[in-house]
Amino acid sequence: MKAFPTQEIGSLPKFGWRTKPFRQMALSDEDLDAARRWGDRLQIEGRDDFYRLLSKRYSFSDDEKKTIIDYSLLYAIGMCERAGDGDASPRGLDLVWSGEQARTEMYETPVTNIGGFEFVGRVRSFDNKYWRMASVKAPPRYEKNYHLDEFLFTKKHTKRKVKVPVTDAITIMAWSDNNYYTGKWAKKPGLAPARRSFGARREFTLELAKIIRRVISELISKGVEEVQIDIPAATQYQSEDDMKLVAESFNETTKGLSATFSVHSCFPPSTGYGILFPHILEMKKCERFSFEYGNRDSFSRGLDPESRVGFEDLKLFKEYGYKKQLGVGVIHIHTDTLPSAEVVRDRVLYSEKVTGLPRENLYVNPDCGLRTRRPEIAQKMLDLTVNGAELARRTPG
Amino acid sequence: LTQYGVTLTGLHARSEKTIQATQDWERGRIDQERLGKCFDEDVDSLVKLQHKVGVDFPTDGQLTLAWQDLFRPLSSGLSGLQPGPMVRWFNTNTFFFTPVVNGRISSDGKALSKAVERKFFDPHAGFKIVLPDPLTFAQLADDRHYGSKEKVLFAYSDALNTELRSLSSSGLKYVQFLAPSLVYRIKGKPLPRSTVEQLGEGVRAALKGVQARSGFYPCFGDASPYLPYLFDVIPTDDVGMDLTQTDNSGLEGTSKGIIAGIVDSRTTYLEDVAALASRIEDLAERTGAKTITLGPSADLRFVPRTSADEKLSLLGQVKNKLKGKGARPSKRSSKK
Repeated sequence: MKAFPTQEIGSLPKFGWRTKPFRQMALSDEDLDAARRWGDRLQIEGRDDFYRLLSKRYSFSDDEKKTIIDYSLLYAIGMCERAGDGDASPRGLDLVWSGEQARTEMYETPVTNIGGFEFVGRVRSFDNKYWRMASVKAPPRYEKNYHLDEFLFTKKHTKRKVKVPVTDAITIMAWSDNNYYTGKWAKKPGLAPARRSFGARREFTLELAKIIRRVISELISKGVEEVQIDIPAATQYQSEDDMKLVAESFNETTKGLSATFSVHSCFPPSTGYGILFPHILEMKKCERFSFEYGNRDSFSRGLDPESRVGFEDLKLFKEYGYKKQLGVGVIHIHTDTLPSAEVVRDRVLYSEKVTGLPRENLYVNPDCGLRTRRPEIAQKMLDLTVNGAELARRTPG
Repeated sequence: LTQYGVTLTGLHARSEKTIQATQDWERGRIDQERLGKCFDEDVDSLVKLQHKVGVDFPTDGQLTLAWQDLFRPLSSGLSGLQPGPMVRWFNTNTFFFTPVVNGRISSDGKALSKAVERKFFDPHAGFKIVLPDPLTFAQLADDRHYGSKEKVLFAYSDALNTELRSLSSSGLKYVQFLAPSLVYRIKGKPLPRSTVEQLGEGVRAALKGVQARSGFYPCFGDASPYLPYLFDVIPTDDVGMDLTQTDNSGLEGTSKGIIAGIVDSRTTYLEDVAALASRIEDLAERTGAKTITLGPSADLRFVPRTSADEKLSLLGQVKNKLKGKGARPSKRSSKK
């Protein structure tokens, strides 16, 4: 097994040529130039045909739009496979995905394809970043497999190991307006207010988990070997009951399924990931927890706790005797300010130091998906992931 | 009989038009002036809606770029502070930039003035502002200077006092402290009374000499463990509770006003007006409060703007339903 394997977390930014045709906007010279520049850099197969297609600039047919999406997947795979500045050997990430280019977004895609939801408007997440909130108006129901096509396409176009990110039930529940179940539980007499709202959350979550299990089950039957269960909302509702529900939801989702499962979460409350313990250790089928740490870290080099302040929470895994794999987020994804490769190396080595895990059990990744960054920055972040891991590999353990 | 009012307890949602404008502005598609017009329309319509539903102390919704999070005007405008790492805001899918304390916290009295959209308010009627309470600030700040949360709490309170004095001379009529850290307890016991008393002292320091009515509103948790003494310890005119998390049964008589967070700000589900009114009647009877101000359980920015406005209107309907109902003021006196 390789020491400090590398992975992405899910999303990559979408180029203007990927988004504008779907917003009825004409492609600009800059869009065409970016397609060429990146296509040449990533050595995208059939790119000359693609450039010709884009030169039409507007009024793309549905088939042409489908081709544009396909190429966006190829570009994303290329960014993952070619990450690193050439010093790293072999170049690229060990686990790849197609950057969620075929998805509207990690939340919108599932709620668009699961019955019972209606979009009600956008809600601000932070600063000028928003998500389109869907309201559950009826019990959710399976309508179709919303990840199958992108998986089959990705698998066909890479020789690397593929990891499919799937948004979990907790996150869909937490980011949705729980209209139906709030109303249902409001009618139950004799419950304290907090019990009532938890009851509504739990019922909604477990209904969703059954649907997501079916989606994953079908993916496995088509060849998926590794699934990343995305739970960015794992630390949102923070009561003891809610933490147990995070594990219950994971177990319900993966019940009876056979694949490699990992879990990703990020941006916990100021108290950190401690609230998840010991409950997440009840996720028996989880082989790897991939969490964000770079966000809270310093830009100084060093393996001391002060320099590596963002990684202190990793100690929790050691305290609870965790022996399986971890994915450590080494690059903050909400800023264009980048650490040096040496700082990334130190973040990796510090993770090894505080967890005591063997190097092959420590995956290296950006904190989260990179869709909010420009492609140039996102690529630099992937490069840093690969280069930092390589520098760590060269440091004697 | 009890007098009923309506208020906003936190930051309001931006409209779809403004949301799109912020994104277009970030991408360089529109200029600052056009963005500003969208915000103006947003604030204007919200202030008008508040008047329509009978809000006594309207806010500007605290939804402009100055209020990217509840701390931002302070973490960007007070000396000794700067916005730091992004962290989840309690149990929501929203985030704030941690106020990093890297020096002595002080104020020139201009940080909040710049953030309030005063032109939308009648100069005589004035406006309300919602701010983080001293405990929440001290708990969530990343202190790299004082070495003690207690010192941070009082340094913040003192700086806030300078800001509030400045604001009260330019139309501030109501300041409400939003206090999630008091009631939001993940694990362990409620805070000891001594900590709550210290918080009370911080609030007192922040309000010293400020000519405005004041309120203290803990959201996102059950206030029962602090009842009834919270009313005695916190030196504001009104004290509130998030009734989507708190049972009425722990409440006793008080001479203070109550802010009742009765409408769930976390869902578009519109509660039954009669059921809400009935709960408020029970609250009035238990407490004998002279005034009960109905509010959302927290910020209405957690739902889209259309729903946020519907929820505000719902509060107006509950208030109308309660007209002429209530209890006689309590004989129990609370110390201020």
